Amino acid sequence: MDVAAQPGQIRTTGTTGKIRTTGSTGTDRMDRTTARGPEPVATRTRRNRGRRLALSAIALSGAVGLAACSSPSASPSSQPASSSKVPLVLYAAEGYDSAMATAFTKATGIPVNLDDDSTGPLFTKIEAEKNNPKWDLFWVDGDQAFASLDTQNYLLKGFTPNVAYNSLGKSLVPSDKSYIPTGVTMAAALVYNSDTVSSPPTSWNDLLSPQYKGAVGMNDPSVSGPTYPYVAGQYQHLGGTSQGQTFFTALKANGLHVYQTNTNTLQALETGQIKVATIQSSAGIGAGFKNPNIKVAYLNPETVLPSVLGIDAHSSATVQAEAKQFVNFVLSSAGQKVMQSGDPTGDSLYWPLVNGVDPLSPLPPLSTIPTQTLNPYTWGPREASINTWFTDNIVQ
Amino acid sequence: MTATPHLAPPLVPSPGTTHLPTEPAPEPAQSDQRHSLSPGFARRYRVALRFPRVALSVALWVVLALLLIVPIVLFLITAISPRLLSQGTQWFTLSNFHTAFTGFFARGLLNSLWLSALCAVLALGVSLGLAWGVQRTNLIGRRAYPLAVWALLLMPSFLVAEGWEYLLQPHGVLNQFGIPTGLADHLFFGPAGVVFVDTMTIVPFAYIAVSVALANLGSEFEDAARVHGAGRWRTARVVLPILAPAMLSALAIGFAETISDFGVASTLAASSHFPVATYNLFQAVDSNPSDFGVASAISWVLVASAAIPIAIQARALRGRSYAVLSGRSRQPVRRRLGGRGQIVGTAAAGGLFVLALGAPITGAVVASMLKGFGTNLSAHAFTLANYRLVFDGTAGLAGPLLYSTRLAVITATITAGLGLVVARAMTAKGAGAMGKVLDLILIGSVALPGIVLGAGYIFTYNLPLASNFGLALYGTTPLLAIGYLATCLPGQSRLMVGPVSQLQDSLLDAARVHGARGFSAWRRAALPILSRLMLWAWLLTFAKTLLELPVSQLLFPPGNATAAVAINNFVGTSAHYGEATAMSVVAMAEMFGVILLGLALFRWLAPRGWQRIGGFIDV
Repeated sequence: MDVAAQPGQIRTTGTTGKIRTTGSTGTDRMDRTTARGPEPVATRTRRNRGRRLALSAIALSGAVGLAACSSPSASPSSQPASSSKVPLVLYAAEGYDSAMATAFTKATGIPVNLDDDSTGPLFTKIEAEKNNPKWDLFWVDGDQAFASLDTQNYLLKGFTPNVAYNSLGKSLVPSDKSYIPTGVTMAAALVYNSDTVSSPPTSWNDLLSPQYKGAVGMNDPSVSGPTYPYVAGQYQHLGGTSQGQTFFTALKANGLHVYQTNTNTLQALETGQIKVATIQSSAGIGAGFKNPNIKVAYLNPETVLPSVLGIDAHSSATVQAEAKQFVNFVLSSAGQKVMQSGDPTGDSLYWPLVNGVDPLSPLPPLSTIPTQTLNPYTWGPREASINTWFTDNIVQ
Repeated sequence: MTATPHLAPPLVPSPGTTHLPTEPAPEPAQSDQRHSLSPGFARRYRVALRFPRVALSVALWVVLALLLIVPIVLFLITAISPRLLSQGTQWFTLSNFHTAFTGFFARGLLNSLWLSALCAVLALGVSLGLAWGVQRTNLIGRRAYPLAVWALLLMPSFLVAEGWEYLLQPHGVLNQFGIPTGLADHLFFGPAGVVFVDTMTIVPFAYIAVSVALANLGSEFEDAARVHGAGRWRTARVVLPILAPAMLSALAIGFAETISDFGVASTLAASSHFPVATYNLFQAVDSNPSDFGVASAISWVLVASAAIPIAIQARALRGRSYAVLSGRSRQPVRRRLGGRGQIVGTAAAGGLFVLALGAPITGAVVASMLKGFGTNLSAHAFTLANYRLVFDGTAGLAGPLLYSTRLAVITATITAGLGLVVARAMTAKGAGAMGKVLDLILIGSVALPGIVLGAGYIFTYNLPLASNFGLALYGTTPLLAIGYLATCLPGQSRLMVGPVSQLQDSLLDAARVHGARGFSAWRRAALPILSRLMLWAWLLTFAKTLLELPVSQLLFPPGNATAAVAINNFVGTSAHYGEATAMSVVAMAEMFGVILLGLALFRWLAPRGWQRIGGFIDV
């Protein structure tokens, strides 16, 4: 027998290595013996039958229990659709998205199926669904993704929501009106620990000085979504690719630490491994709620990171009409209130683009921050090559 | 998919299969109509039997095609013909392979190859030592170590990595109690740490393969060697090659599991800036726009590299016999270790499990209870606030955990049954070429990370022609369950091949002779022997499915996040860091709780006979 060639085989009991089975004849030595001698067959059969019954009863009740609580409710806002209201499918990565979906359904009666996940998996799903898109609305931070979708003609063009944008908002709307900005954060605010830093840097070049040697941290742009706009913003501000590369190489020579995500970078800041970090403004301000020593400063210029809504070009006319209603709701004063209350320590810490709406109190007025915007149609296609350069030269 | 162990080498003929009689028993002298054993009847009976068998195997192949073959093939095709799935402009191109073999991607592939080879060898060494200590010596605590091996098997690799991170990071758990961690931290966050965690992750697979073979090795070879004057190491060198099939199987499994691991790759390797193939694949898919072509090219390499150790193993074993278990095998005598031996042995084995299990679990639990963990403010202030937040927080864990539990139960049940069918198909007499093809398909599926299967499912079940056929499965819970099934089935089936192949057909014939028919015959003859195997398959699948992430992220129905997706979303937000650690601990506690409950129920309710035979690794 080629048994040694069969790992994972049944192990046998007993000293002779034979498989033993219980028989119903009562002559097997492995019968239960009681003090009065071997157990009679009838009793053992009854007991085994009883055990089997109990086992099946438990299995059955388990199955019934599962079936009973197996009515998967979709997001609380979905209700049985009336004949004219088709559910909207919303793929969103914002902290206030479920609050918004609920509020919208309450206001209009249109049910919303919300797929709330991080930007990466959502975008992967959208790309994988290309030959048969299932989504109707897409709502994430960063407009590069939308420029890319627009180039492939996946977005509904030419829709102007009824809203009064401020000047920043107007500058973020693309020429073919294929997506709608809903708010902005700063891609890389200067977050510092006031325990260790009494006066924060006032310009980007300050980070290259000996004072901040080994004390600066940032995220990896190929992992963290908001970081690529920061890197691209530096390239744009400094005048081009080679100038941008010079800046980051100098930063690395000055002991730059690169982390995976906001969490890691903030932890390093709070535990004193670094003194300043360049991370998304909402994350920095949110950390300040928990730890009052974490403060945020803004350098010149700050690259703006818009949160953006896009509508699928391939959905039916009914669905597109409902999607437009959703967009208008988000940009209305009621919608802006929901956006500002849905995630008060995270994404709600944004600057509105709608006239007449002020940001939440920890945020300084937008007019006090020198901002620059990136053209996603220019910088989007360069993301792969810039990230690769960054990984090969700065991260390693 | 770093899911479950898969142990059997490809296609070894089942041992001790007696020849089934091809002719019926000779007719009794007087043709008694009641006995109906005429040749004509027997022929018609066999023909009648064949039809359901053919229908069954066709059904099995259809199920496997829908589960595994079609999604994987569609994903692999994307490398060559991106346009076919709307992922590019070319109908035929080899440029994706070119990208996969240059620069950053090439480094990742090389790292994966040497990492997998090294970890496989190390895991083999560790498991050989452990198996020898447990089986051949009187090491203290030797009954506990196999349990620890199972616990290690169930523990997800990313949790081991994260637990260590909580311990070692600056102001981590150890620092909080005044223990400096500078050097250990530096070592751990680098290739050394990745090798360590990956090796620990695959030790259980290697241990399962090796320990059974060692158990079947009688003492006569060692005795013969020592009679001829060989010392301790000489004897080992004589005896170990006899275990070659199991050792090669362990190497192959270790290699395949490490190369497809994503848990360590995405946590430890990524933050150590140590590129590996699975993480590069994920980044290709995660980039903007997604580069499925390059991801697919990397998948080709992963599948091919998993096939190589299997081929080496098949070649090495061909033409040799390793049959050592016979009626004359002698039970080896346990070596009595002296005091020094016990100390060394316990320090080695115990230390191993403390490092692999105890430390990360402690790190995770303590971290979840420290107030304000991750900031300067924590200072020995224990609190359960994070746990309260988990259950009544704004986006708590209760709903996703319940959803995941339901799905895990369903998947585990179907996998236990279907895995048995597949294992039988691979080992049945006359399986031949089809059995080998099946084996290759399964090992190829194991070598691919879960994100490939998830994307393949979107490609397959979101095809426009799928909705034409009324198959609107995409975005529904059933498809997520099917995805989980596809993740777990290959590993579980290979795990079952060993024991299933040992089952003689004559057992079923004997049952039929005694009057049982069909399912009743199987239930009364084969099920008792297979019951513990199926129990462990169920428990393993439950554990792996409860915290499954990559397939869940891509396939979960809108509005119904699974447990791992919910935890992952929280980990990304620093404001919820404490909650995220508490969530992980709660999910792990549920997993181990269900497993203990399952074992207890079996011990309490299953008939005595079922518990005595068909044992599976000393537990």
